[in-house]
Amino acid sequence: MDTPSVQNSSASDRMATILAPGLRARKKSAVLSVLAALIWPLQAAVVARAFGQLLAGETASALWAALIFATLGIVRAGLSYLAEAQAQHAADHITAKIRADIIAREAIRSDESAFGGAGGISALASEKLDLLIPFVTRYAPAQARVMVVPVVILALAFWYSWAAGAVLLISGPLIPVFMALVGMAAKEASARQMTEIGTLNDFLVERLSALADIRLLGAGPAVLQGFASQAADLRRRTMAVLAVAFLSSTVLELFAAIGVAMVAVYVGFSLLGVLEFGAWGGQLMPTAGIFLLLLAPEFYQPLRDLSAAWHDKAAATAVIDEIYAYRADTGHRLQGTGGQAAPLPGPASVVLSGCHTLSGRPLPEISIAPGEHVALVGPSGAGKTSALRLMAGLEVPVTGHVMVADHPLNEANADRWRARLGWMPQAPHFLTGSVQRNLTLGRHGDIAKAIDTAALQKVLDTLPQGLATQLGETGGGLSGGEARRLMLARAIFGTPDLILADEPTADLDGDTARAVTHGLLEYAARGVTLVIATHDRDLAAQMDRIIDLGAV
Amino acid sequence: MKALWKIFRFILRDQRSAMLRGAALSLVVLAMGAALLGLSGWFITAAAAAGLAGAGAVFDVFRPSAMVRFLALGRAAARYGERMLTHDATLRALETLRARVLATYLAAPYPRMIRIRGAQALNRLTADIDALDGVSLRLVLPVMAGLFTLMLAFVVLWWLVTPAVAFWVAGGYVLAGIVVFGWMARISLPLSWRAEISAQAFRTRLIDLIAARRDLAVYGRLAAQKKHVQTAETRHEDIRRQLDRRERQTGALLAITGTIVTAGALGLGIMLVQSGQIGPAFAALGFFAALALAEPLAPVRRAVSDFGRMAVAARRIGSDLSEPAPLTTAPSHVPDQNPDQNGDLHITNLTLNRAGASVPIISSLSFTVSPGETLAVTGPSGRGKSTLLLAIAGLHPVATGHIRIADRPITDWAESDLRRYLTLLPQRSALMAGTVGDALQLAGPVDDAHLWRLLSAVQLDHIITQKGGLSAKIGSRGEGLSGGEARRLVLARALAKNPKILLLDEPTEGLDEATSVAVLRGIREVLPDAVIVIAAHKKPERSFADRILELK
Repeated sequence: MDTPSVQNSSASDRMATILAPGLRARKKSAVLSVLAALIWPLQAAVVARAFGQLLAGETASALWAALIFATLGIVRAGLSYLAEAQAQHAADHITAKIRADIIAREAIRSDESAFGGAGGISALASEKLDLLIPFVTRYAPAQARVMVVPVVILALAFWYSWAAGAVLLISGPLIPVFMALVGMAAKEASARQMTEIGTLNDFLVERLSALADIRLLGAGPAVLQGFASQAADLRRRTMAVLAVAFLSSTVLELFAAIGVAMVAVYVGFSLLGVLEFGAWGGQLMPTAGIFLLLLAPEFYQPLRDLSAAWHDKAAATAVIDEIYAYRADTGHRLQGTGGQAAPLPGPASVVLSGCHTLSGRPLPEISIAPGEHVALVGPSGAGKTSALRLMAGLEVPVTGHVMVADHPLNEANADRWRARLGWMPQAPHFLTGSVQRNLTLGRHGDIAKAIDTAALQKVLDTLPQGLATQLGETGGGLSGGEARRLMLARAIFGTPDLILADEPTADLDGDTARAVTHGLLEYAARGVTLVIATHDRDLAAQMDRIIDLGAV
Repeated sequence: MKALWKIFRFILRDQRSAMLRGAALSLVVLAMGAALLGLSGWFITAAAAAGLAGAGAVFDVFRPSAMVRFLALGRAAARYGERMLTHDATLRALETLRARVLATYLAAPYPRMIRIRGAQALNRLTADIDALDGVSLRLVLPVMAGLFTLMLAFVVLWWLVTPAVAFWVAGGYVLAGIVVFGWMARISLPLSWRAEISAQAFRTRLIDLIAARRDLAVYGRLAAQKKHVQTAETRHEDIRRQLDRRERQTGALLAITGTIVTAGALGLGIMLVQSGQIGPAFAALGFFAALALAEPLAPVRRAVSDFGRMAVAARRIGSDLSEPAPLTTAPSHVPDQNPDQNGDLHITNLTLNRAGASVPIISSLSFTVSPGETLAVTGPSGRGKSTLLLAIAGLHPVATGHIRIADRPITDWAESDLRRYLTLLPQRSALMAGTVGDALQLAGPVDDAHLWRLLSAVQLDHIITQKGGLSAKIGSRGEGLSGGEARRLVLARALAKNPKILLLDEPTEGLDEATSVAVLRGIREVLPDAVIVIAAHKKPERSFADRILELK
């Protein structure tokens, strides 16, 4: 993991750091792309020479001219191909590295990132990260060509004619100056467009997650109308950005066209013998004239490529800022790796002493004996959930320590300790996949028994495909009670000897709450330790002991 | 391909005149480009020939150079116009398309609607439709314009140079373009599908890892899920690399095509001059035109690389578009103007199946509720209370039996009439970002005095006053309101519709007993003559009702 050493580093430092993994490939790509561009003067020379010979009435070999021209062109295509391959390789390398870093970070942290939810992080790791690719593959090679190609062509032009060289020399620098001016306007326009895109996306996200409500209230037409006006706003903003971009490329094209036309006029008049200055020592020869005319457009081409890729840089900079924002929150670490491990030997007991919640609230001494059934009660924020997470090694105590099975819970034994646990979180997130996959999570065990104890069969009977029914993000297709029963089955599937349950009866009606409680107690009756965080007084009353966390 | 054509037809139908003008302009741009370079080559060579012959003074410089200037400036202007025109038209067409897709979502069958995932639907409405801009801008228009330009070039080259050069240049480009596009598109299409699927797999697996990471850690599956994410990522990278390679190959093939065609034009030109069939200036014209005519081929590369993505998006959007009946906004019948009408809700022998299954959840149920009467439906969760309310709201299919509202079978009610006549408040209701006033007026404008009356009916007037009145801001998903406050606000929102039938699914969930009683009384005061059916879960709801129906 790369942790930023300087929090407020400059944009170019950040870019260099992020792009560092692809440095070698990027350099190779730049060199190859410049070499490819430098083949054109050779091809131009072949053509100019052939026409020069034709004009002078000398014999020119059609076969050789065509063959050399084609060979050079094929070499150029090959070099471009290699340059692109290297650039793509660099881009792949860079994005793969950042993606791997994101996966690694997400797999060891224990709390939610301040950067955003699962959707936001996965968007960063997929489509947003992809915005770095065009920058690496298009903008950077164009930048390299801008540094070299115009200079070489300028030198060649001066070699044959100082006048033609002068035209290029004067018109060339006007382009970056103008581009800078346009760039400022473009930046402002695209910032406005970005805001508008954000607004429209927010509008849509809100409405799309409330489709049913909109339908039930008959608000469809009103929502469509609101959407239409926002979408029209966005289109106007987008067109404003495009207009600037199109205008700037039109102006570039005009500059290039005027430059080429001036060279052409000069060359034409020189060849006619009307102008007798500009060439070194006398009149311009036809071969040199045609050569100059073929070179002139290529003088402007790298600049035009660069301006066409202007957007890529802005997009890349924005993404890099997001990556830094994401990395700034390192969060809290999980104990252990979350992998499979042999169960830790020892009694199913757990002790918290001198621990605090993540928000700094002290927790009382909690000592739970093997086979004991304990309810943790107290108002919201008292630390019930925190206490359960500490017991499972999902939070690392800042102060104090956690003893499990007579061992201090640590990095080395956390996975082994968790191999003995059953866990019922308050709000489940079901994995994309079948009910069966969500129940077993890929573990081996007796599925029929778990279904039986959790009274899940009745639920399965009502599902269209029973165990094979596909579930969505928040358990689409299951009611709150059904989801809770599935979690109970999941918890007892691994035959744990300690169950940690967070509000197992919250939001359930009386009958369902009783069914879930019954399943839990029936399983725990075989000497299993049970720790329940709850607001439910009926449930708490059925435990051996109640610990009030609010009493500290 | 068919899906793409369908999308293009949609765009064309929406923006016919702008698209046709844009297409004409793109043809003008390409043709002027070829003419410009061809003429310049001819001009310089002819000038050189005249200079060498000593006829420089009588050579007509004025007309060709004026023509060059006209073509150079005209092309830049035409390109600017063409881009603005086609982009604006495409954005407008996509805007229509987006609204149309949103309308289909809003009219989707209820079970599908609640399954529409915000993120996925947003992706359709934004990323997928954005990808479709390429259908007109990067596929159909450039291909058409390119083909027409090459046909035009064929005629002109035949006339000015020789049929051989015309055949070689135009024929070569058309043939190569078709072969390269056909070949590469065929290879990349299935790859694009796979790329899309693997990207989706990566995204959902990463979301699962992040959202369920604590559960996965406890069950020792976090490390496995991490590997699962990495596998998807590696596969996606691999497919993307293949796609990129295809794109590069397309580019290289096009570059080689350009080189060979131009080299051939050079060789042919030299041979023709040496055999005395044409002058060097016309050979130059042929060569320079061949050089310029590589331009119409350039979009093939983008078209190939975007083709798969566009086809995938088009197929998905196409399937959304083929959904029947978007919102009908026009009222077909106004039922509440009939004075003799009986406003009863009448249910006879009703049997309902569980969604997506043929297992009955409710069988042979009959009851009648009259205006001003309140019925509480009770029973354990999973017995079909919510399903019954959905069926009355016309959102769940009736297996057997009848539901009659105001003497008309539910099936005879138009969607918009039914929504105006009755309102269902489901268990989970979403609030959107905006002000309190916006939230209440989602379905249409209501005057402030009435809004305050509604707020006081749900015991929310004091709280909203404290928060800053009707203009108080609510965050995304009702942020800034407690669960109970949000529940009461969506209740008030349902009341704002002034329905004749109000269906409430556990309306007082999350409210304490005293508030529940007051809120229910408030609802009845606002709607004294409404039929109210409550899926009751709590005691105040049951004791508020005039009658209780228990589902067993």
